[in-house]
Amino acid sequence: MIRARFDDLIHAPTRLSIVALLAATQWAEFRFIRDSTGLTDSALSKQLSTLEEAGYVEIRKAFVGKRPRTSARLTATGRGAFERHVAALQEIVARAGASVLPRG
Amino acid sequence: MQRDVPPDEAARALTEIGRRQEQVIALSVVPVWYWWAVAVLMVGLAAAVDAHRPVLTGVGTVVFVLGVLGATGAVVLRGLRHAQPRDGLLGATGVLSILGFVAAVLAVSLPTAFGLRAAGIGHSAVWGVLVGAALMVTAGPLLSARLRRGMLARAAGTPR
Repeated sequence: MIRARFDDLIHAPTRLSIVALLAATQWAEFRFIRDSTGLTDSALSKQLSTLEEAGYVEIRKAFVGKRPRTSARLTATGRGAFERHVAALQEIVARAGASVLPRG
Repeated sequence: MQRDVPPDEAARALTEIGRRQEQVIALSVVPVWYWWAVAVLMVGLAAAVDAHRPVLTGVGTVVFVLGVLGATGAVVLRGLRHAQPRDGLLGATGVLSILGFVAAVLAVSLPTAFGLRAAGIGHSAVWGVLVGAALMVTAGPLLSARLRRGMLARAAGTPR
């Protein structure tokens, strides 16, 4: 049973999109996150840094040949916070009497 | 401490989460063209072997192996270039579905081929594989859709 806990850091729209993407992955490429969320390089870097400072995200930088490749993944702390946040959102919707269908 | 979030905002956030998870899962689902490619390669190999000419058998085998490796590699690399879906999303049910699908293709192909051969009908192997290939291109996309639904359910943490 996951204990619900609303997380303001994750709930910000752009960070919610990023964390939700990462939650379904082992890791994701910077370009994939950027293209999926429609953020600019700098905006995504800023959001990832915020999440990294909170201990929610780990950023890896590597080279494939001569090309730098940045990828990100949720840490155990970040995954736990995300799961508690989802539980909190579901509770809010359930309390309002609406059905909880997290897909549109 | 939970701040006062309106239910519609929470529902929108849950929808957004589902949408993003679907984007990741879409990367790992086998596309329709893959089933057609493997089916055509299977029939080609069976026809090459059935010709009973060593050169054709050799060429057919090489084309089959390279074709399957190429198609599978393209599907796997498509996902790995962008993001690797979380372990466990496929689940035991998904693995069993894939094994069941392979078993079903064999269970249709082999008896058909042996049955036709016993009845003295020519090119029985080709006909048997053709039946299996037809099952593959019709049921393959259904299997993909089933796996996708299962992965989405596991990503959302709810049985669906």
